[in-house]
Amino acid sequence: MAVLKKEQMLHLAENAVKSALKKGAAEVEAYAYEGQATNVGIERGQITKSNRIIDRGVGIRVAVNKAVGFAYTNIIEEPKVVESTILKALSAARASKSDPDWHGFPEKKVYATAEKLFDPKILELRSEGLVDLASSMLDAAVSVNKRVFPIEGGVGTAYLSSAVANSNGVAAFDRGTMIECSLAAVAKEKNRVTPVCFEFNAERAYDVDPEWVGKEAARLAVSALKTKQIKTETTQLVLTQFALQELLYFTFINAVKADNVQRNQSPFQGRVGEKVASENVTIHDDGLLPAGLRSWAFDGEGAPQQKTTLVEKGVLRGFLYDNYTAKKDGVESTGNASRAGYLSTPSIGATNFHIAPGNKTPDQLMSEVDDGLIIYYLQGAHSSNPVSGEFSVVATPAWKIRKGEITHSTRGVMLAGNIFEALKNVSIVANNERKMWQLVAPWVLVENVRVIGK
Amino acid sequence: MEDILANINGAAVKKFGAEYSETRAQKLYKTMLTLKEGRVEAAKQGIENGVALRVLVDGAWGFASVGSLNAVTLMNAVSNACKMAKTASSRLKTPIKLAETKTVTGRVHIKPKKKPSAILMEDKINTALSVNKATLGYDKRVKSCTIDYLDLTGTNYFSNSQGTHIEQDKLYVWSRVTATAASQGVFTFSREEIGSTAGYEVFDAEPPEVIGETVAKRAIEQLDAKPPKGGKSPVVLGPNVVGVFVHEAFGHLAEADLALSGGVLMNNLGKKIGSDVVTFYDDGTIPGAFGSFKYDDEGVPTQKTLLIKDGVVTGLMHNRETAEEFDAEPTGNARAEDFRVEPIIRMRNTFMAPRDRSFEELVEDIRSGYYFKSFRGGQANLDGTFQVGIQEAYEIVNGEIGDPVRNASISGNTLETLLKVDAVGKDFELWPGRCGKGQTAFICDGGPHIRVKEVIVGGSA
Repeated sequence: MAVLKKEQMLHLAENAVKSALKKGAAEVEAYAYEGQATNVGIERGQITKSNRIIDRGVGIRVAVNKAVGFAYTNIIEEPKVVESTILKALSAARASKSDPDWHGFPEKKVYATAEKLFDPKILELRSEGLVDLASSMLDAAVSVNKRVFPIEGGVGTAYLSSAVANSNGVAAFDRGTMIECSLAAVAKEKNRVTPVCFEFNAERAYDVDPEWVGKEAARLAVSALKTKQIKTETTQLVLTQFALQELLYFTFINAVKADNVQRNQSPFQGRVGEKVASENVTIHDDGLLPAGLRSWAFDGEGAPQQKTTLVEKGVLRGFLYDNYTAKKDGVESTGNASRAGYLSTPSIGATNFHIAPGNKTPDQLMSEVDDGLIIYYLQGAHSSNPVSGEFSVVATPAWKIRKGEITHSTRGVMLAGNIFEALKNVSIVANNERKMWQLVAPWVLVENVRVIGK
Repeated sequence: MEDILANINGAAVKKFGAEYSETRAQKLYKTMLTLKEGRVEAAKQGIENGVALRVLVDGAWGFASVGSLNAVTLMNAVSNACKMAKTASSRLKTPIKLAETKTVTGRVHIKPKKKPSAILMEDKINTALSVNKATLGYDKRVKSCTIDYLDLTGTNYFSNSQGTHIEQDKLYVWSRVTATAASQGVFTFSREEIGSTAGYEVFDAEPPEVIGETVAKRAIEQLDAKPPKGGKSPVVLGPNVVGVFVHEAFGHLAEADLALSGGVLMNNLGKKIGSDVVTFYDDGTIPGAFGSFKYDDEGVPTQKTLLIKDGVVTGLMHNRETAEEFDAEPTGNARAEDFRVEPIIRMRNTFMAPRDRSFEELVEDIRSGYYFKSFRGGQANLDGTFQVGIQEAYEIVNGEIGDPVRNASISGNTLETLLKVDAVGKDFELWPGRCGKGQTAFICDGGPHIRVKEVIVGGSA
């Protein structure tokens, strides 16, 4: 597939910087982006489609008198449009208000190299190859049990590249690849249908296991067929990575963003050095994790990505910074300016939010559960109170555990509590870590969670 | 533009073996703002264009999206899309077919009273600043205020190989205001959204000061609120919560693609699943509403679709593919967020029809329960399990509204809960929102106040 070369991307970004300076910008940053994605899609039990999306563009941020303006366009093959986009960024800045806390764009720095982020084999995969992978996933799912109905999924590859240039002399290019297989399935018996069960496997290198994804989604769906209600109680929960990702994304991850800390909307404000979680919990944000799904050399404004300790044995150690919030606190950016392609200005985001694995195997962890639930999928985590960390969500399906063994599935169980309290009650962290979008984590066992049965 | 697109569709069918081809070109202009405590983080503008090409070859879809209107680029992309569709069709068991639709030639021009593009960036910033002032000025325990603003205008050009050509203006004005309050270790959060397809005049109907005060008041009130008691309870739901309940607990299940995927409505078409007072619509024709448009992204005219009447399921929301499978008429629900993605079945303005009860009548018979007034998020599952988070709630004690309650949510199963709706109010409100189904769609939902005999309330007490 034809992608823009490093020189072309850098040229686009650097030219925009030069031109904006000529047009009167005090400071400029240009972010050039290219994303090419190919996907083969599954719908309702069969492969029905193939998609190819090419998206390129440039986003230009300028500062005039400490007021910031931004403009973007995807019409990069027309120099006139890029020029008028620069003018739009300037006019937006002039219409905007000065910000006394604005201290400019990042300075030029040396980047570390994150490993295993680019695999040329992924670029060579055509839709034929993707159809083969998707078929093997579908066949594997249906082979588990006749009652399994794969409803949606697919196999997709992506090539992403970005170039950042700014008026402090930053001029950087990075590129990477991604491949993902995913399958959502239900199991059907007579007129009854299970809740949706989902599995996926995403990697930076051509090293995915579509058969495992198909089998696992199917296994979970079938095991959700037989269901029993449970009673309201305070109990032990095994949180799998799906549940952790949902619960942490809308609460804890927000609480460690410096922006929220500075703006009085994080319970962690002023608490660095204090115990905020059980001593079993150690968390890093690792922007350089080898083969990490969100590992890159630099962030959305050209600051080096790095490994940042957030929680060490339960003690809060630090926050996630972009350049703006770092300057405000008199520290260095942690490389957490994240960006939705060229369409937006950066905002603080986690890279690979890594909960350090413990020593116990998942079986050993399960054997510690006398009476509890194992939680995969949650509904409504986005309705958590993002500031207080209070959640009130539905786990469906969930599975009952007695004396270390899964006994049956259950539906519509509500979990209510506070994520910050829950982290203090983490009694075991297992050793089965996996990558789940921005989360990299193993299973954890949490004590004393309120469960509302039907 | 029309000629270029027609040419591409012609080539797809005549040269590259497609049985159907559609092209959707867009020119889009955006203005965006983010303000944090009155600090303008950045004033933002965007210009983009691109084309989505979708073809059906041997019963499988091929789709390509390119950020270009260049005829040569588009011809290469459509040829590639046809090849990919052919490849995808290699393992097909049931080929995809489309329901017949009338050929349409249409031009839709929106004439807002206040064109967003004619309002100066300075004025948009000033409007946001007055919201900010009203929010932070309400009470000193309000600690933060974030305001996002977006206006999106542009033109859609739709063309297909069956002779339909539509040129349609696009206009959205949207803003979200969030505030947090803190006092004595308690943190609260409040959110309000406005959205319109009419024009910038939405801020005349919803003055910035009022929006700010509403958000701030809710955040402050929650500081003294208590957590709800978890378990079954009778509830009165306000229009804002009813809307999300209709959208999540029923609407998604009435999307024909999800029904075909095993959703619980599949076995309940034409059956009574709700009490006699339950009537739901999905309506794309309401002037100015956030989920309204004239033609969908398959060129099908929008309509007012009756989904459930007096408790009986009467219809589903369709695109051309599912309409063919159900032998039904397409309902104009195929929507794509932009040219980067394919159209899928989405809701428009989804609501419950009002009946005859006053608010007092709904509340007076409840000895112990909750009044849920405003939502914070919601989600549904194919088996009918729904969850709606609540950002503003009160106790009901002996038929009267009591103390505020915070961080509640409700859950249940659609097939059980719709039968438990036992009284429906005579008031009506429609609220703008955004729905995520892989892509974001602008929608509205709403209804009157209603009473539900029993739902599960998620609470930590």
